[in-house]
Amino acid sequence: MSGALPNAALDVRNVMWLLASMAFVVAPHLLRQPEWVGAFFAAVVSWRAWIAWRAARNPPRWLVLVLTVAAVAATLFVYRRLTGREAGTTLLVLMAGMKLLEMKTSREVVLSIHLGFVLVMTNFLFSQSIPLGFYMLACVWLFVATLVGYHRGVGRTPTVRERLVPAGILLVQAVPLMLVFFLLFPRVQGPLWAIPQDSRAGQTGLSDTMTPGSIAQVIQSEAVAFRVQFEASIPPYSLLYWRGPVLWRFDGRTWRIPDANAPGTLEYTRAERPVRYAVTVEPHNKHWLFALDVPAELPPMSHVRQDLQILSVRPVTTRIRYELTSYLDYRYEQGLNRGYRRLALSFNENRNPRTVALGRQWAAESSSPAEIVNRGLRYLNTQFTYTLEPPLLTSDDPYDEFLFEVKRGFCEHYAGSFALLMRAAGIPARVVTGYQGGEVNPISLELIVRQADAHAWVEVWMDDRGWVRVDPTAVVMPSRIDNGINAALGPIGVIPSLIAADRFGVLAKVSFAWDALNSQWNQWVLGYNVDRQRQFLSKLGLELNDWKKLALWLVAATIAVGGLVGLGLVLRDLPTRREPSVVAWDRFCRKLAAAGLARMPWEGPMDYLARIEAARPAAAAEAREITRRYVEARYGDGLSKAATRELLARVRRFRPAQVPGGLRT
Amino acid sequence: MFANARQSISDWIFRAKVPESPPVTLVQRRIFVLPTRQGYLFALVLLVLLLASINYTLSLGFLLTFLLAAMGSVSMLHTWRNLAHLKLRPGRCDPVFAGDTAHFNVVLEAPKRQRYAVALRRREGDPVFVDVQETEHAVASLPVPALRRGRLRCGRLEIFTRYPVGLFHAWSYVDFGLVAIVYPRPDPTAGLPPQQSLSGDDEGIPVKGDEEFSVLRAYNPGDAPKLIAWKALARGDDLLTKEFQATASAELWLDWIDARAPDPEARLSVLAHWVIETERLGQSYGLRLPGVSIPPGRGDAHRARCLEALALHGEDGAP
Repeated sequence: MSGALPNAALDVRNVMWLLASMAFVVAPHLLRQPEWVGAFFAAVVSWRAWIAWRAARNPPRWLVLVLTVAAVAATLFVYRRLTGREAGTTLLVLMAGMKLLEMKTSREVVLSIHLGFVLVMTNFLFSQSIPLGFYMLACVWLFVATLVGYHRGVGRTPTVRERLVPAGILLVQAVPLMLVFFLLFPRVQGPLWAIPQDSRAGQTGLSDTMTPGSIAQVIQSEAVAFRVQFEASIPPYSLLYWRGPVLWRFDGRTWRIPDANAPGTLEYTRAERPVRYAVTVEPHNKHWLFALDVPAELPPMSHVRQDLQILSVRPVTTRIRYELTSYLDYRYEQGLNRGYRRLALSFNENRNPRTVALGRQWAAESSSPAEIVNRGLRYLNTQFTYTLEPPLLTSDDPYDEFLFEVKRGFCEHYAGSFALLMRAAGIPARVVTGYQGGEVNPISLELIVRQADAHAWVEVWMDDRGWVRVDPTAVVMPSRIDNGINAALGPIGVIPSLIAADRFGVLAKVSFAWDALNSQWNQWVLGYNVDRQRQFLSKLGLELNDWKKLALWLVAATIAVGGLVGLGLVLRDLPTRREPSVVAWDRFCRKLAAAGLARMPWEGPMDYLARIEAARPAAAAEAREITRRYVEARYGDGLSKAATRELLARVRRFRPAQVPGGLRT
Repeated sequence: MFANARQSISDWIFRAKVPESPPVTLVQRRIFVLPTRQGYLFALVLLVLLLASINYTLSLGFLLTFLLAAMGSVSMLHTWRNLAHLKLRPGRCDPVFAGDTAHFNVVLEAPKRQRYAVALRRREGDPVFVDVQETEHAVASLPVPALRRGRLRCGRLEIFTRYPVGLFHAWSYVDFGLVAIVYPRPDPTAGLPPQQSLSGDDEGIPVKGDEEFSVLRAYNPGDAPKLIAWKALARGDDLLTKEFQATASAELWLDWIDARAPDPEARLSVLAHWVIETERLGQSYGLRLPGVSIPPGRGDAHRARCLEALALHGEDGAP
C-alpha cells in the first residue's frame, strides 16, 4: 500500500503518455511543415521512448546542445528567420522535441506538459475549424491525463482509466467557469504587438489588380468568401452584385485601383428597394468590405471612396460581421469630376489598336452613348464563348488577341475588353470586381458566397443616368448571372462535382448542414470579439468601458458558477445513509469497546473475533454469528434483507460481559 | 521559501492539543491549500496563452486559456477534497534495536470516496504515499532511523496531497504522540552471560517453556506466532497455542553488575545481547538493573519486557 517518493519521471508508462500526447498535438503541425521537421521530431520521440523502455541513459549534454544548435540553424536556413508563424512554430516543435529528449526529473516533465499547452495554442494560429478545435480538446485531455498520471503514482502506475477519468471530470467541471470567462472577460482588440507578416499567408481572394486570367485563378477555390444573412427574403440572383475593388487605371493589360481615391458619400438621386442583411466576411488581409450594390450605410470602422468602394480602417485579418442596408434600385450620379472623367477615359494609345479602333468606329457611327453600349453588348453576343479555361493571352495587345482571335474567355476578359471599348468610344467606364450571386444554404437560409463566385463587371457613365452597371458576361452567358457559377460551368473540382452529382441528395444536405454549423461556429465562437461582447454586455446592461462594474460582474459570476460546481462536489461528501451491515458492525464494536475489548484500528473482523473468543468465552458464540454475517455482507456475496435484519437484531441483543480489570493483551 | 512560509503560518494557525485522541478527522478548517511551484508556473503559462490569444484574436485560444484556468481552479477543490474528511488513527509501532529503522504506522480511512497519493511525512524526511480505498484501511508506514535507545518520538506529522494535477498543495498536521521503543543495540562481543547466578534449588522443576510440546491451550493475545497451532487452525479448529514444557535446568539472572563495560550505555548493550542469547538458548532468565528487577521467565513476551526495561533505563517513566 505504501511506497516511497515515486520517481514518476522515469516510469515507462508515464513517459509514453507524455510522448503520445506530444505526438498528437504536434501532428497537425507536421502536416504543414517541411518533412525534415517531422522526421526530426519522430526520431527524437522514438529515441526518448527507447530510453524509457530500456531505462537507457539520456543523451549527453553536449549532444543535446549540438542537436539544439542544429535545429535552430536548420530553421534559420529554411525560413531565414526565427520569428513569425511558420518559423516560430517550427522552432517550438523542435525545441519541444529536445526537451523531451533531455527530460529527467518530474519538474522537466511538468515543463514539457506546459509546453504542450502552448503547442495547442500554436495550432490555432493556423486553423480554428470545428474539427481542429475538438482534436485539440482531445489533446488537452491527454495532457491533463498525463499530468494526473504523474501525480497519481504510488509504486504502481495508474491504468488508462485512472488517468482519463479524473482528467475528464476536471475538464467537464471546468466548462461552466470557462464559459463565464469567455463571455465576460474583457476583450481587447488585438494585436498587442506586430503580427508576423506570414500569419495570414496563402489565402485566396480578390486582388486590387485584374489581368486576363487572374479571376479564373481565384474561382478555382471553393473557399467561402463571406456569408450573408438576409433579414427578409433573398433578392433575385441577377441583382446580387457584391461590390469589391473598383479598377480605373489601365495600362493596356492590367486594370488597377486608382492611386488617389477621394472619399465618397452615400447620396443617391434615386434609392429604392432597400434590403437589410448581415455579412460575415472571412479574413482576406485586405481592407475592402463587401456590400450589395449600392450600400445605404457604412459598417462600423470603415469609410467609402467616391467609387462606392467600402474600405475598413484595419485590414480584415479576422472574421468580422456587420449589418447593412442596400438599395437594389438606385441612381448614383456622384463622383465624376474632371480628374476622374479623364481617368475613366484614359487608355494606352499604343496598345490593343484594333480594339481601340473598333470603339472609335462605334462612336462615329452611333448617335447616343446608350446606342454604343448596346452595340458593344450585341457584339459580344455574337461569336464569343464563355469558358473557365481560356487560352493564355501572351501578346502585348491581350484584348486585341481576345476580341479578334481567341474569342473565348471568362468574366475578366469580357469586362476588361468592354470597358476598353467604351473608353475608346468616349464613354467613361471602369471595371468593378467583386462577387456575383452565391449559394443558398437550405438549412441556415444563409447565402454562402465563395471565391468561385468572384466576378468582374463594368460601370459606364451616362450623363443622364450617372453610373450604370453593365455586365457583358451576362450577355455571353446569361445563366452565369441568373443561376450562378456552378450552373454556368458545371461543377468545379472533385468534391463539388460529387456534391453536384446528387444535388438534392444526401451529400448536398450533409454539406449544407456542415456549412450551417460552421457558420454558427464562426458567428458565436470565433466571431465573439470586442463588438460582439459589447452587444452581449449591453443586453446585460453593462458597458465594456465600465471596467469596475465589469470586473464586479466577472467576479460575481465566477463565484456563483464556481460555487455551484464546488457545492456539487462538497454535497457529495456529506454523510449519507451507511450500509446497514456497517452500522450493525460499528454498534457491535462500540458495545465491546464499552466492555473493555476495543477493536484495534488495524484489526480485521476475523482477528477481532479470535480475540473476543479468547477474552469473552461467554459471548463467543454470539460474536461468531455476528462476525460471520458481517463478513458475508462486506466481503462475501452480501446479505438478503431478512439476513440483514437478523444481523441488526442480533447486535441489538448482544451483551458482552464487563470484565473487571479491562483489556488484557 | 513557500515551504517555510507555510510552516510558520500553519504553526501559528494550527495549535491543536497534543497528542490528539484518535480518530482524527481532517475537517474543513484543518486543511490548508496553497499553489505549488508548478502551480505558479502554470499561471505564468496561462498568462502567455492569454496574451497570445489577445494578440492574434484567437477565439479558440481564449477558450483554451479559460478552460485551463478553470481546470486549475477546479483542481484546487479536488486536491482539497482528496484530504477532506479523511480519518486518521495511530497504528502499531513495533520496537526496534538502535541502529535499525523504526516504522511509525498511521491508519487512514476514507469514508465516501477513495483517495489517491496521500502523503505523510515528518518535519524532516521523505514522504510516504498511500492510496486509500473506500472500504479498506490504508496503512502509511513511515520509516525513521532509530539512532539511540530509548523512546523515539514521531512528532508532528504533515499529511498532504497534490493529486490530481499537482498545481496545489493541500496539507494538514496531526500529532498522535506516536512513540517507538528503541532497544539498546546488542553488543555481539559480549559473549555469554556468566553462570554464577545459577541456583540449583529449582532443578528438575518443570517450568513453562517451549522446548518439549506438552499441551494445546486457547490462544491468548501476545502469544508468539510460532507457537500457534497452525495445523490445528487449518483443520478448522479455533486458534490454539502450543504449550511446551521445558525443564528449567537453571535460572539465570542477568545483572547490571556483571555486565562489565566502560559506560552505562555499553552495559545496556551487553545486557541486551545476553537477553537475546539466553532466550535463544532456551534458558529461563531474570534481569536486574538498578531499581528494576524482572523475575525469571521465558518466551517472547518476557524477552520484550526485559529489552524494554533496558531501552528505557534511566528515562522518565521507566518501569
